[in-house]
Amino acid sequence: MFSSIKNFISYWYFRYLLVTELYMVEKWERAMFHIILFVLLAIMYVFNTTVTLGLVRMIINSLTSNEDSKRTDYLIDPINVDNSKYDL
Amino acid sequence: MSAAPSLEPSTDYVQTELLNGVNFLNKKVLAAGGDIEFKNFKKLKNGFKNGSCLNGHVLTSANDVNTKELQNGFTLQNDSKKTTDIPKQDHPISKTREIKESFEPPTLLVAALTQISFYILMFLGYLSQALFPPKIVKEKNRDGYPPLYDRFSAFYSRYVYRRVRDCWNYPICSVPGHEVVLKDRVTKDNGWTFEFTGSKTKCLNLASYNYLGFAEASGPCAEAAIASLYKHGISTGGTRQQFGTCELHDELERLTAKFLGVEDAITFGMGFATNALNIPTLLSPGCLVISDEKNHSSLIVGIKLPGATVKVFKHNDVTHLEQLLQEAIYYGQPGQPKGAFKPWKKIVIVVEGIYSMEGTVVRLPEIIALKKKYKAYLYLDEAHSIGAMGKHGKGVVDYFNCDPKDVDILMGTFTKSFGSAGGYIAGTKEFITYLREQSYASRYAWAMSPPLAAQIISVINILMGRDGTNEGQKRIEALARNTRYFRLRLEQMGVIIHGNEDSPVVPILVYLYSKICMMVRTLIKEKIATVGVGYPATPLTQGRIRICLSAGHTKEQLDYALDVIEKVADEIGIKYSRKTRDFTPIEYSKIKIYQDL
Repeated sequence: MFSSIKNFISYWYFRYLLVTELYMVEKWERAMFHIILFVLLAIMYVFNTTVTLGLVRMIINSLTSNEDSKRTDYLIDPINVDNSKYDL
Repeated sequence: MSAAPSLEPSTDYVQTELLNGVNFLNKKVLAAGGDIEFKNFKKLKNGFKNGSCLNGHVLTSANDVNTKELQNGFTLQNDSKKTTDIPKQDHPISKTREIKESFEPPTLLVAALTQISFYILMFLGYLSQALFPPKIVKEKNRDGYPPLYDRFSAFYSRYVYRRVRDCWNYPICSVPGHEVVLKDRVTKDNGWTFEFTGSKTKCLNLASYNYLGFAEASGPCAEAAIASLYKHGISTGGTRQQFGTCELHDELERLTAKFLGVEDAITFGMGFATNALNIPTLLSPGCLVISDEKNHSSLIVGIKLPGATVKVFKHNDVTHLEQLLQEAIYYGQPGQPKGAFKPWKKIVIVVEGIYSMEGTVVRLPEIIALKKKYKAYLYLDEAHSIGAMGKHGKGVVDYFNCDPKDVDILMGTFTKSFGSAGGYIAGTKEFITYLREQSYASRYAWAMSPPLAAQIISVINILMGRDGTNEGQKRIEALARNTRYFRLRLEQMGVIIHGNEDSPVVPILVYLYSKICMMVRTLIKEKIATVGVGYPATPLTQGRIRICLSAGHTKEQLDYALDVIEKVADEIGIKYSRKTRDFTPIEYSKIKIYQDL
């Protein structure tokens, strides 16, 4: 059971290496690529959770045209917004 | 064109689309009962036809119908008795040969992944180059000089090709017949250097262009070559025009011309130079060359040398070729003063018989028809097809049953099917005499080595049945059967293969470098030698494994190879084909080969 799962994972990891051409590169390059990919994805995650989410929230707010729509301070610091103040 | 001048009140000419994109003039005759009947031509499928446009013969004007038949752009002897427009019936071929070619494109996902992974590879290459500059000799004190070598190709060979270099350039230590002995080697620094382990591996050879299996270390051909060695030595020590000609050369040229069914032939010691050095003698600025996009680099080098204008038509696309021909004739040479018209000096169509990377076969009957219609010359490179195609092994001309005299310049090599080296050009006596005098290869290149010539002579003798056996015919049929069998089995397997069903070059598309090298490595481990092909021999994202079949392979060998390929294909996932598959088992002995037609 355990070995079959291991086989399955290692086979599909091998297929993943094949389609990304990582099969033929050296080990450190493979690691380097994965690190860079991870860093890129992390940056994208941070960007999305801060800037994109804030923009989306702003647009939605402006469409619904609440009084709150004039607020832009959470764009600057979305995590530490004092929610109780605005009663979100 | 539809209103060409009529000869008799009851006839006129209409344009009919017969072959793919080729329009013939059809003579419309009012038959009894008011039906319109096409007297000269019948509805034809691509390839074979009956009637007077058989084998590329085409009547281009009203006068041709009643008077003369055109060949090679010249009118033949006056045949004043032949005044009827009844189609010639003496052509024995009445059956149709359809050209079955497949060019299955990859799915969008595969194409996209191939692109993305190529960028990954490039990125890692540049990263690696920046972090660890290659330990190679660098030129110093060259500030301000531009690099002498192409930067990208240097980068490509160091950081892409080097990683998979163990799949290519394998040293061998036996004759590359149906089996080949590879010298094992290992690399400890990712392909920069190799070490020989001292062991050898005997592999099934699916890599050599040994189509008829004449690459043998023993047998009548090898014996003939060895015998000539004692008489003539290994070289005549001169060029053909000086003192390098021996009787074997003359015999070889006579025999080649006879084998091909043309008036005369000239041979050279090198196949690449046959193209690269002879085409310049035919062309000059002001000539137009229309070249297939997949032509071999020797043709491209030859075309570029004399400074002629080159236009490229899409691979095997007769419609595009006709469009280019029409444009060339209509517009003439560009850059003329306003209102002036200057036609091209001549137009030469350059095509190959079998395209070595695609496995496709040229659409010769249609191209001959076009060449006659537009009065262009045809240069046919039969490097891969001579010996490998046709009922008698005479190349694509034989395969389509065309008249070899319709092709102005027949070129081919002895390197592939004949198990030798060198090339030939065949054509009319006048043309070959001109080449003998003018060609750079005839003037400056060393004459062919006599043992090579002896090998070719004995092979041609076997192929023509002059040795008293039917060995040649057996080999040609074995190759045809092997080809059909292998291609049918691969299609059943579900891999994408390109090319004509009768072409012994079988490219299996695998798209990615990793898959090429994985497959080649696994196949060598399973004792099968194949060739992987990638950029620059193919487009960047169309890597492939190329398999060349031989008459020397037995069914058991092919079955073994197919089983292994199936296993590898499953493992690395190259069963890309979306065609409907027919799973009825294929019986080797019952395969209908094209010789049966």
